[in-house]
Amino acid sequence: MKGSRPPRDNRSAFLLDVHRRGIPGAARMRRYEDGDEVDLVIVGAGAGGGTLAQRLARKGWRIVILESGPFWDPDRDWVSDEAGQHKLYWTAPRVIGGGDPVELGKNNSGHGVGGSMIHYAGYAPRFHPSDFETNNRDGVGADWPVSYEELRPHYERVERELPVAGQDWPWGDPHAYPHAAHPISGAAEQARRGALAAGVDMRIGPVAIPNGTFGNRPHCIYRGFCLQACKVNAKASPFVTHLPDAIEHGVEVRADSHAVRIGFAGGRCTGVTYVRDGRERFQRAAAVCVSGYSIESPRLLLNSDGLANAADQVGRYLMVQGATQVAARFPDALRQYKGPPPEISSEQFYETDESRGFARGFSIQTVGPLPIDWAQHVLADGHWGHALREYMRDYNHWTTLGLLCELLPLAENRVTLAEEKDAHGMPVARFDYTQCDNDRANIAYGTKVLERIWEAAGAQDTLTIGRYAHLVGGCRMGFSPEDSVVDRDHRAWGIPNLFVCDGSVMPTQGAANPALTIMALASRLAERLSAGR
Amino acid sequence: MFRDAGHLPKLRDTPPDPTQLPRQRRGRTPQMHGRYPDYDVLENARHWDETTREVVLARVNEVPPVRFFAPEEAEVLRLFLDVALAQDAEPRIPVLEMVDARLFTGETDGYRYDDMPEDGETWRRLARQLRADGFDRLADREEYVRALHDGEHAWEGLNAERAWSVVMRYALSAFYSHPWAWNEIGFGGPAYPRGYMRMGVGDHRGREPHEGAEAFERDPVQDS
Repeated sequence: MKGSRPPRDNRSAFLLDVHRRGIPGAARMRRYEDGDEVDLVIVGAGAGGGTLAQRLARKGWRIVILESGPFWDPDRDWVSDEAGQHKLYWTAPRVIGGGDPVELGKNNSGHGVGGSMIHYAGYAPRFHPSDFETNNRDGVGADWPVSYEELRPHYERVERELPVAGQDWPWGDPHAYPHAAHPISGAAEQARRGALAAGVDMRIGPVAIPNGTFGNRPHCIYRGFCLQACKVNAKASPFVTHLPDAIEHGVEVRADSHAVRIGFAGGRCTGVTYVRDGRERFQRAAAVCVSGYSIESPRLLLNSDGLANAADQVGRYLMVQGATQVAARFPDALRQYKGPPPEISSEQFYETDESRGFARGFSIQTVGPLPIDWAQHVLADGHWGHALREYMRDYNHWTTLGLLCELLPLAENRVTLAEEKDAHGMPVARFDYTQCDNDRANIAYGTKVLERIWEAAGAQDTLTIGRYAHLVGGCRMGFSPEDSVVDRDHRAWGIPNLFVCDGSVMPTQGAANPALTIMALASRLAERLSAGR
Repeated sequence: MFRDAGHLPKLRDTPPDPTQLPRQRRGRTPQMHGRYPDYDVLENARHWDETTREVVLARVNEVPPVRFFAPEEAEVLRLFLDVALAQDAEPRIPVLEMVDARLFTGETDGYRYDDMPEDGETWRRLARQLRADGFDRLADREEYVRALHDGEHAWEGLNAERAWSVVMRYALSAFYSHPWAWNEIGFGGPAYPRGYMRMGVGDHRGREPHEGAEAFERDPVQDS
């Protein structure tokens, strides 16, 4: 055996090729006819759909995944370059509005096999137990119909599959990680010293990059392009962690296939209408699972004659995290482009502290902006022309910390259909977003903590950008059809064979990056679906 | 020279004069000044994987033709971009052409504010506004761009803050995707398959042999 201990029941890391980056099994992947009634058609080959397919395929389910974007061959399609990776993002038109609009595209929406995890940073923290009952504990947000205890075995299982590297974790439900922490860069070291001086405890990780070889996945080469897709196959995403095993067990991942409508007759779903090569087709299926994430999942349901929307819940309670970043300047060169952007983090401010004057909290994490992102950061601080060029020339002396502030679920923050149509003739999504007072207080407090850290570190200057990160909610799970879209088994209320499995089902989002929780939810759903068969 | 922070714009009245920076001795930077005078990222191109090399070298060697903007739009927008990006001398990164190529192929960022037109239309309205205000004949174009940034000029009725953000997002994405800009700021560029070994703080522990050393002073002979 090569590398560290592999997970049980998932051979993905060994099904990859040491010398090529694509999925070798894709060439002999099983194919189904549109007319074959498969057991399950999943819309979206990301964190939710990919993990669910892998689990159920091992139980003998016949599954087709429809993916709007391409089936990547990283050797051929991906470049080690910021601008050249624009193709990873969902860039089909969308309209944004509300009092505090959320910019979409490269920051939060993926397109192609592997989904948004192809370009996520790689942070893989668990949610805290409190995230599952914020209404009960803190009187804000919502309670989940699923508890942390129910999800814990799936967190542990997915952490072994990715695998996650990091120091022992003291926050939330304290736990250890399967892989030891990675070495950290000079930029992160500088940030860590500042945090410790300011009384803020930082830990290394948790990062979904093996520390060592893992099956046929090579060791990370610390090139810093995690947000531009990992050309090494070191960073975890469903593309390397679940889809190879899914395909080996008979799943068809049908790329370049854009779902436009869910078929429905006699109280049950019958399959999915999708567009491929400019032609509309219909894949028959005994059950349908929507895994298109927080914008596209509601959009697909709304475009299917408002399926699962009897109580006007589809698209509502969509959340983002407040992700302000503050960069700091130091005398020594730090070269923040080196090393994975996800290096160290703190969850010290995660839980409600009444003395702060608002409910819930935030996390602090390193980020490592490459030049184009760094330019947006400098621009956001108000610079252009000679001043902007001067800050850009100073790039190598800077290091950056970011917030993930938990913003609360609000009914009016929602996806609806706009009048404008996309290239497939389908109405585009419109996303309205407005912060509440608690959100503003959280972001303002968190920003002050970052400034305090840099002051304690002796920073010579700082630059600030206000922004958002991540998407969750939009098809939330709940206790009754009046206040949610799906039940605790991800089943649409009143439709026995329609499921939603992605970040959109989350009733709250904590102050943690959502990828690991999306995968853990999919793992739990698969267990329940296969037990019920 | 750069350990202290006296050159940083927020810590002084006006940004320092870049012509006082070291002149580039290897490769190119926009306007040929920078902080890493002996660093040319393109000298590492043979260590990049082939697909990356093709994409990045094409950016340097193949300047796309202007197809989206009309000639009179291109002319005035070029003058605007020179001020907004402080490209006041040759050699210049061909930002206008790079922005034009994205708008021509419809490569957007995937969202549009509900009170804004398509990105291309925002650019066209900026061009119309600049032409109406005689931007090409202004003695102090920098002052005009400052007022534009501060929302003091009409953008044909557009939300000025959002319009500025759309235009600058395209401009900066083009400028800082160009290897000449990487030379100027000392960015390591594409790093696959070689990666990095030296990740520490400072020049000794944090710089690979193939990365540029920061200049500490001007060359008394070549920079005079």
